[in-house]
Amino acid sequence: MSLKLPQNPNAGLFKQGYNSYSNADGQINKSIAAIREIHQMCLSSIGPCGRNKVIINHLGKIIITNDAATMLRELDIIHPAVRVLVMATEQQKIDMGDCTNLVMVLAAELLNVAEKLISLGLSPIEIIQGYNMAKNFTFKELDSMVVNEIEDRNDKLELKKILKPVIASKQYGSEDLLSDLVADAVAHVLPKNVPSGQIPFFNVDSVRVVKIMGGSLNNSTVIKGMVFNREPEGHLKSLPAGIKHKVAVFTCPLDIANTETKGTVLLHNAEEMLNFSKDEEKQIDNMMKEIADMGVTCVVAGAGVGELALHYLNRYNILVLKVPSKFELRRICRVCGATPLPRLGAPTPEEIGIIETVKTMEIGGDRVTIFQQESGEITRTATIILRGATQNNLDDIERAIDDGVAVIKGLMKPDGGKLLPGAGATEIELVSRITKYGERTPGLLQLAIKQFALAFEVIPRTLAETAGLDVNEVLPNLYSAHNVTNDEEHNDIDHLCKGVQLDGESADGVTDIREEGIYDALAAKKFAINVATEAANTVLSIDQIIMAKRAGGPAPPSRPKPGNWDQDD
Amino acid sequence: MSLQLLNPKAESLRRDAALKVNVTSAEGLQSVLETNLGPKGTLKMLVDGAGNIKLTKDGKVLLTEMQIQSPTAVMIARAAAAQDEITGDGTTTVVCLVGELLKQAYRFVQEGVHPRIVTDGFEIARAETLKFLDEYKVSKLNDETDEVDREFLLQVARSSLATKVKPELTEILSPIVTDAVLNVQDKENKSLDLYMVETMQMQHLSPNDTVFVKGLVLDHGGRHPDMPQRVENAYVLILNVSLEYEKTEVNSSFFYSTPEQRDSLAASERKFVDEKLKKIIDLKNEVCGLDSDKGFVIINQKGIDPMSLDVLAKHNILALRRAKRRNMERLQLVTSGEAQNSVDDLSPSILGYSGLVYQETIGEEKFTYVTANKNPKSCTILIKGSTNYQLAQTKDAVRDGLRAVANVLKDKTVVPGAGAFFIAASQHLKKLNMNKLGAKGKTKTGVDAFAEALLVIPKTLIKNSGYDALDVLALCEDELNGAEENGERRYVGVDLNLGDSCDPTIEGIWDSYRVIRNAISGANGIASNLLLCDELLRAGRSTLKE
Repeated sequence: MSLKLPQNPNAGLFKQGYNSYSNADGQINKSIAAIREIHQMCLSSIGPCGRNKVIINHLGKIIITNDAATMLRELDIIHPAVRVLVMATEQQKIDMGDCTNLVMVLAAELLNVAEKLISLGLSPIEIIQGYNMAKNFTFKELDSMVVNEIEDRNDKLELKKILKPVIASKQYGSEDLLSDLVADAVAHVLPKNVPSGQIPFFNVDSVRVVKIMGGSLNNSTVIKGMVFNREPEGHLKSLPAGIKHKVAVFTCPLDIANTETKGTVLLHNAEEMLNFSKDEEKQIDNMMKEIADMGVTCVVAGAGVGELALHYLNRYNILVLKVPSKFELRRICRVCGATPLPRLGAPTPEEIGIIETVKTMEIGGDRVTIFQQESGEITRTATIILRGATQNNLDDIERAIDDGVAVIKGLMKPDGGKLLPGAGATEIELVSRITKYGERTPGLLQLAIKQFALAFEVIPRTLAETAGLDVNEVLPNLYSAHNVTNDEEHNDIDHLCKGVQLDGESADGVTDIREEGIYDALAAKKFAINVATEAANTVLSIDQIIMAKRAGGPAPPSRPKPGNWDQDD
Repeated sequence: MSLQLLNPKAESLRRDAALKVNVTSAEGLQSVLETNLGPKGTLKMLVDGAGNIKLTKDGKVLLTEMQIQSPTAVMIARAAAAQDEITGDGTTTVVCLVGELLKQAYRFVQEGVHPRIVTDGFEIARAETLKFLDEYKVSKLNDETDEVDREFLLQVARSSLATKVKPELTEILSPIVTDAVLNVQDKENKSLDLYMVETMQMQHLSPNDTVFVKGLVLDHGGRHPDMPQRVENAYVLILNVSLEYEKTEVNSSFFYSTPEQRDSLAASERKFVDEKLKKIIDLKNEVCGLDSDKGFVIINQKGIDPMSLDVLAKHNILALRRAKRRNMERLQLVTSGEAQNSVDDLSPSILGYSGLVYQETIGEEKFTYVTANKNPKSCTILIKGSTNYQLAQTKDAVRDGLRAVANVLKDKTVVPGAGAFFIAASQHLKKLNMNKLGAKGKTKTGVDAFAEALLVIPKTLIKNSGYDALDVLALCEDELNGAEENGERRYVGVDLNLGDSCDPTIEGIWDSYRVIRNAISGANGIASNLLLCDELLRAGRSTLKE
């Protein structure tokens, strides 16, 4: 018999398949190592010059993006510590819509520097305390670093100020075009005549994106209204322009009324049968005539449209559009101000909506129906028609637009209009300010606070790195540009606004961000720093991970077989 | 062995081996859980089979989420779960005490004391400790009102919550749980039903934004886009009536021969529901009249179909369907209306009142607040958090906080916390003349082991905050001895921030009386059982197929 090692006391305590990693076995170092992997991946995608990644997800779909939230979602990560960080980015995505990569990179960097502190002998609890103090200090400092503010939320130029940098970080090069589109769309849906001092209400849902392959991005347009990817059912495809049309919206099928209980037609002879169909026709005819008599020229149906009903609607020159999605139906009601009707019958005048243009157009190879409000009518939905060469490209542009729209949402919150200097200027300033704060703090916490400061350096460094600049040259230049004692020549704001020059036009790689118009929203940045710190603290505060065996679920669908689907071998 | 003859597949462990297995398993479980004890305890991350993450410091959560296999550990876990059922707290304490009692007893058993004698000693020590607990406890009734002060309850809530969540969050949650309990307490009947506190989760913001709502928050909204989002001065009708077409129980079908007949049949199907709706709308018109500043809200436990929703929306009524059963009782308490099972006897008197009913949409989810009521007897704790694990952690903490405050209201007494009772009780036992208690001869070893085992709680607390356990404990004992010499009564606990002794009555750290009483009784019971166990058998058929 060979010698057996003595078993550890917890053997057989848990069910088989359980894994337990405790801090005594260096769990935290392993977790941080795993986080570093994902950190490396996200890092190179940050900023305007960030690299794209190709991700093939478990369904075999190819996604090309530099959007951190999308990448992390599609990667389907299972490592629990990394999951905590991923959840933090998801939260940022939901609440702010932007700065998701900042959350990921900052949280990972905070953990990276924490690892150094742990090896120095600090306990995670002390690091957490230090991080929290530093976080609170950062919030105070951020408030004092606001350099610009959006006053008029209805002004397109002002809106573009905040849209451009956000979209540039996703689609560098086309930010002007895209921010124009978004600003146009937003201007359409923002309620006018909001009393000054009040912030208009903005719903992200009111800016839609329709992607149509073909053409180029320059052909993209904004429609004040909605665009549907299908054409009207009847032979009437467009309504004459220039007049206001009445719209009725039905959620029930446009067909013969059916009973819930099973019904049987009881016929005694052939004549009855003939009469039955005739009566049925007459009934539908009456119904459609009633609708036509109300002056309705356009019917939107949420459920099916019967052949017979379609026939009569055609006869009365009414345009019929089928919209199978409940949500789309609700949106079209908002566009034209109609009430959805659950029963078939003539609508009352209040239930009828008004629309100015209904037309079918051929864009690329697709036929689309456009519901558009002209001129002064208020609409609650605007649609951006995106054109582009490939589906992947369109998807990525859509994500950039989504981010832009989310930023507008953030703007409509109180304090949402406050802007910080962008292009890494804020971060550089934070590094020096927090370091000074750390030096003022007595005790062991000083180390944690100083490392917290150092973590921010990752942003300007990466910006410079991805832009192909010499990091070792740019960073010192930035620090010195920021480290200016106030005198008459340099007012306070000047040095605050020094950021990384991505185009490499200036020799030292430093630029005044006010010239370039690169700003970050204060609210989003604050939220991101908060979420990132909390995520990092959560990971630090865990001393043991206990994992159950993964439950067997349904196997993911295998990738489609290459070759023709009909091929049988 | 004879057993093997009866069943060749049977496995058994006897005598010393059995005891050893029990002791090591108990110690194993203790070592898993002890790092969670106290405000400085660390977090554990649990990952379940589906990959979901749960972060916890709560012994109860750990024990229920982990599938424990070792039979001894399962027994201890059950005892701890029972502790949670009864008192809502102290699960980790029980596990630690059981592990330590077995460890101390095993020392004596190895020296030749029979386990039975040790357990006899345990029993004597337990009775004496509980007697000492009754002397030690502090009554905190306000002399004038004969009630416990809110300020004091806040301290109790804080002591309990601090062991579950971060310090910042503790400060936020303490007033919330205290107010919630005080809100549902019926001062006349002296009854308290914690079930009347609704905890609602909202995936939004961070746990620090958790709020206390005097009223009810429902996790659904009006199902019709035209329904009002905000109703002031609302009459609330609480219904349990289906407002949708229901199929007949028997097989039925219609026969018709003309489309008109079919139409009238289709209409008659709806008639039944329409009649009910008409009664409700009549009631609305009766109470609201044409007065536009009054609103009407229906909260129905059953469904409402789109047609009916449309009718209600036309009459400017906010209708919620499929309300949760548990909320029906709470709604009655909040709005002081009466729930109706039919629409036959509707009258203005059964309507509830709410000053403000409004909806809030977060992402895809809708929430309806029923607030500004007259004298609500039920309330909601609205837990917020950005991720599922934050929500779950906060919810568990709130649940324990509620129980802690409720315990004090019921007991009307508390025990100074921070390990003070355990240190004092241990000293008390050690100094006692054991023969007087009937602990003669070797039975004394049981009392000794018990006294030593009680110290595990302060020791673990100190260890978790990174100080030297024996060092701090010695400081505390010195102080107690000093006080005794001067003839004064002092409460000495451990200060986890400085690694020093402190007075928990001044720091405001309190333990619940019934938590400690139950923990000591429960731990003693299970430890005695395990000690007296002299054989472990596994002889049953594992599966029927074999």
